[in-house]
Amino acid sequence: MDWLTALLAAVALPAGAAAIGLVWKARTGRVRAATDDLATRDLGLAGDALGVSATLVQFSTEYCSRCPATARQLASIAGDYPGVRHVEVDLTHRPEVADRFHVLQTPTTLILDGGGALTARIAGVPRAHDVRDRLDELTGRSRVPS
Amino acid sequence: MSHPESAGIDPRGPRFTAGITAVLLLVVAVLGFGGAALAAWVLLAALSALFAWAAFAGVRRHPFGLLFKRFVRPRLAPPEELEDPRPPTFAQGVGFAVTVVGVILGAAGLTLAVPIAASFAFIAAFLNAVFGYCLGCQLYLLLVRARVIPRT
Repeated sequence: MDWLTALLAAVALPAGAAAIGLVWKARTGRVRAATDDLATRDLGLAGDALGVSATLVQFSTEYCSRCPATARQLASIAGDYPGVRHVEVDLTHRPEVADRFHVLQTPTTLILDGGGALTARIAGVPRAHDVRDRLDELTGRSRVPS
Repeated sequence: MSHPESAGIDPRGPRFTAGITAVLLLVVAVLGFGGAALAAWVLLAALSALFAWAAFAGVRRHPFGLLFKRFVRPRLAPPEELEDPRPPTFAQGVGFAVTVVGVILGAAGLTLAVPIAASFAFIAAFLNAVFGYCLGCQLYLLLVRARVIPRT
């Protein structure tokens, strides 16, 4: 038994995994700017499925344990804004949509403006505060300090 | 009529399972990198069989999950919500795929493959247990898009 190598593995593996986890946690769920004018057409969303000011399009699959909670979170945020709607799109049986929108993980959320054009996307469980900031911009609502 | 118990699982069950699995995978990696090749191989083969069992029989029948249900869950407050068992079952399948490669290569004489496969599986199990990282969220679409999982 090579004790030094064994000890090294025993320390390095948990440390490395913890570092990966911290980096992942710091990066996931952030709102990033994006543009795509044909998003609504290629999502196959009817005009009346869109919100007047903005739409949160959430991509999910059946194998995503964080998606149901994210759907509730986004629906609740959308409910706070008149003119904002939340739409959930299940990609489990629609891989061509995943290809079209380069979805690498779920939940992934697209933020569309009132015209249905893509303005931003979020990979991972969204940060509620960031989503609200973006919706404040799109709906022209000034922030109410809470 | 579906019983609420059978509709979903306590989300803390898979994380408990992932925690125990991570510790055992770390033991495999430490044994393997330390040169105890046979012990590492035997333990990885056992863990791989456990992954296979949970992936094919369903995560509800995972022995560690049953341990959680029997001894840990009664001591905890009821969960805020139940979860779909499909995501953790998928993760068990990924665990099986990764560890069985190590078991096969190890049996073929590539002893280093055993701790390397265990290391990858350890990282995923550790991230799941500690950070709530969900393999089904991160990997399922990637595998479908890469045509590893057939399109339906």
